[in-house]
Amino acid sequence: MNHITEILDNTPFADLTDAELRTIHAHTKSCGDCANAFEAAQLSSVLLRERISETAAQAANSNPFFQTRVLAAWREQQTGGAWNFRRLWSATGAIVASMAATTAALGVLMFVAPGANTADQQTAALVPYSAESVLLEQDRDDSQLTNDQVISAIYDDDDEGK
Amino acid sequence: MRRFSPRVFHVAHRFFRDRSQAEEAAQETFLKAFAQLKSFAGRGSLEGWLTRIATNTCLNMLRSAKRRPEVVTADLSDDETEFLETVSGPVGAETLNAEQRVVAVDLAERLLETLSPEDRLALTMIDGEGASVNEVAEVTGWSESKVKVRAFRARKKAREVLEKLLR
Repeated sequence: MNHITEILDNTPFADLTDAELRTIHAHTKSCGDCANAFEAAQLSSVLLRERISETAAQAANSNPFFQTRVLAAWREQQTGGAWNFRRLWSATGAIVASMAATTAALGVLMFVAPGANTADQQTAALVPYSAESVLLEQDRDDSQLTNDQVISAIYDDDDEGK
Repeated sequence: MRRFSPRVFHVAHRFFRDRSQAEEAAQETFLKAFAQLKSFAGRGSLEGWLTRIATNTCLNMLRSAKRRPEVVTADLSDDETEFLETVSGPVGAETLNAEQRVVAVDLAERLLETLSPEDRLALTMIDGEGASVNEVAEVTGWSESKVKVRAFRARKKAREVLEKLLR
């Protein structure tokens, strides 16, 4: 026995030809399952028809502010993109500025401040400490004498004694 | 935009019964169209191009929803059960009153939700709107054989779901 479900599934219900309908009706008289299938296919067609007629009605009654809403969303999307770029650019500027400031500060610390200390040390090294100056200034706090001053004062005395 | 809104909304409502979802889909369609306007080479109509964007947008939205509940008799409302008892049979289905039409749309929506987005589109366009296989192929970019397979599968699934409800 040839069931008619294949005819039902292959063709839209509304497009079934008279010949196909005759075949279906002839078959469903003796086949309960196919009768049920035919009924379901017919109901499916009716439900779809109602759904489509509602779709047409809904499409006709669209929101009057829809256009405004879309244009606002489009503007937001556009300005949103530009704003993000601007924010990124200003953030980059801040980072570059802070890096430049840090580099300048390090430069000052490396070349200017250490340079002053070196000059003092060189001056101090060039000044000879005589025994007299050490002895005359012995009332000054010992902590102000360097080891070099003390040693040169002692050994200079020994050399003079010889 | 005013000119093409009805067309885009028609496509969106084909997929979404809910007004806000349809509006979201339509808005997404226009935003995509604005962004890709340069890529519209002028081959074919602008309306056809927009219809294709709208269809793909709706398909993607439905795919991401991933919701395909089964319809069982226990889930039906009293109105829906009564509707099925009344309209089953060759005569009852042809003449629906206003209340029955509302229930019919609810049931149709339940039925369509059980289908994949692609099957749903094929069934709605071919069986509901009377579109040809070629028209569906144009809108979706699918081959005609794919459209036929989708429609066949959707018809079969819809029929089987309703058969269970009618028993």
